[in-house]
Amino acid sequence: MKFLIAEDERDLRHAIVKYLSEDANICEQAADFNEASEKLELYDYDIVVLDINLVTGSGLDLLKKLKTHKKSCGVLIISANNSLEDKLTGLDLGADDYITKPFHLAELNSRIRAVLRRGKFDGEDDLIFNEIRLDTKARSVYVNEKPITLTRKEYDLLLFFITNQERVLSKAIIAEHLWGDESDMLDNFDFIYVHINNLRKKLTSAGAKYIQTTYGTGYKFTSV
Amino acid sequence: MKASKKKTLLRKASRTFLINSIAFMMLSGVALYFYTRSLLNNEIEEELLSTKDRVAHLLQSNPDIQDIPPVITITQVPTPQKNTSKDTLIYDPLQDEIELFRELSGTQLINGKNYRITVRAMVIESEQILLGIIFIFLILIALALFFLFYLNRSHNAKLWQPFFNNLKRIKNFNIKSEEPLQLEQSDTLEFDELNQEMLLLTSKIQIDYRNLRQFTEDVSHEIQTPLAMMQAKIETLFNEPELNEKQYTILSSLQDDIRRLKNLNKRLILLAKIENNQFAQEQEISINNIIEAITQNFKELTNTTFHVAADTILYVKMDPYLAQILCTNLISNAVKYTLKNQPVSIAIRDQNLRVSNAGSQALKQPAHVFDRFYIEGNRKDSTGLGLSIVKKICEHYGFLPLYTYQNKKESPGDYGYHQFEIQFTKQTC
Repeated sequence: MKFLIAEDERDLRHAIVKYLSEDANICEQAADFNEASEKLELYDYDIVVLDINLVTGSGLDLLKKLKTHKKSCGVLIISANNSLEDKLTGLDLGADDYITKPFHLAELNSRIRAVLRRGKFDGEDDLIFNEIRLDTKARSVYVNEKPITLTRKEYDLLLFFITNQERVLSKAIIAEHLWGDESDMLDNFDFIYVHINNLRKKLTSAGAKYIQTTYGTGYKFTSV
Repeated sequence: MKASKKKTLLRKASRTFLINSIAFMMLSGVALYFYTRSLLNNEIEEELLSTKDRVAHLLQSNPDIQDIPPVITITQVPTPQKNTSKDTLIYDPLQDEIELFRELSGTQLINGKNYRITVRAMVIESEQILLGIIFIFLILIALALFFLFYLNRSHNAKLWQPFFNNLKRIKNFNIKSEEPLQLEQSDTLEFDELNQEMLLLTSKIQIDYRNLRQFTEDVSHEIQTPLAMMQAKIETLFNEPELNEKQYTILSSLQDDIRRLKNLNKRLILLAKIENNQFAQEQEISINNIIEAITQNFKELTNTTFHVAADTILYVKMDPYLAQILCTNLISNAVKYTLKNQPVSIAIRDQNLRVSNAGSQALKQPAHVFDRFYIEGNRKDSTGLGLSIVKKICEHYGFLPLYTYQNKKESPGDYGYHQFEIQFTKQTC
């Protein structure tokens, strides 16, 4: 996959590129409006991660330009402003998703994957990890082609794990993915522990042992 | 200044005028009385003197003049006597009354004989004249004052009218509005100066208020990017192979700190947005449905159980997002603070939504429960903004948020209830 990361904050851009490159994706960078605009004209990308507030221009203008040129890439907007209008404008202009700063890289990755999966760009509904197969259209899970029953949260959790495989996920990252804004309601992260444990049990009993506990309180989905 | 009952300006002015004029009337009446009396007395003295001289003159040519009692009496005396002047009571047979007379008597040597001449004048006449003068004077003055009073009052009212009009406008002025304060022009210099100063002050306040609001929003937005960078760097570190468990623990607790900042920020932005009227969308919303959805959500997040009692279906006209926030904040507050294993009760009755949770004691400062950053107890995970957002939403729509503590402690180990109630009836303020 080929991504373009248009973000003017250098550190953030680098962190995103580093995180996304780990899945053998090609990540190109654009530090400002002109660079992004130029690269978009010259090359084709599968996904463009676009900061709305680029120093030299608005990401929304780039988005308009992209859509008038009928480029078939997925667009994910990053904004520091979580106002609904911005979100709606972005989505109206043809963006595929919208994420508000600050976000977790794992969350960004899972959003990008969701955009890719949604059919238009990749067409692949199934997500396969060794013997595990997720039918993302039907939201069903198979281990060795035998269906296993997961709750809604367990399914979301597994999907999140597989998208961010081989990376360390803290409880905070998982909580915010599963419950979003309401995660600050959690007094402690025991609830995540319950969900992860249940998921782990179900997978293990089907013969798939991939959820590892790392550093005491973190998790990693890994085949190693 | 003593906090006495306040009087209106016009009333005070009228009062001062009235008191002053009555005092003036009385003083001038008294002064007039004494002055006129002394005038009249002098007049009588002079008249008596001249009558006496006339009589003495007549006696020289004709010593047989008859008395005219009681006005003139002439008696021959052997030795001269002192001149006297006094008031005396004499019976007047003509009027069959005892009357007051002014009497002047003196001895004079005429043609070798000593005559004592006494002349008298009735005082009653001059007293009556005096009273008449005073009476007419007082009536005239009273009439003049009466007219002046009304003239003065209506004139004052007219004079102060621009002031009163502007006072009314200032009272109705809202610093939150974008409109500048409109004041009535006046040709009175002081009023005009006052207007200028008021305009200056209010526009300054308006600008400051707007800046403050904008500042909160700007700062909150500007903080988002550095926060995103911090978060991204932490995640990059998470995946460094050299990381050890101790470092991971510190990093993940850093993540929690960032999360707190992020939540705080988000709520500040929300508050600023409500203040900036950025939620204009209004539709009929069933509070029951929202409560149902929220409690379903919360069941995945906490062990707390919910008792929902709905007598009616409560429809409220408001922004759906704000309705959601309002209910979520109320319920999450109750979930956070309820005693261990105690359910959260939610009741919908008439136009009211009540959320209550068990508590061991009443709040120390119940009046501040809806204030920004007011946190009772020592909860580190609270931003102190949840209930102030509730209040702000209520203010925005004119709903009434209430807090009460119901003490049900009868035996030790019992607990009371913190009750938060929203009255969705529009309050007229």
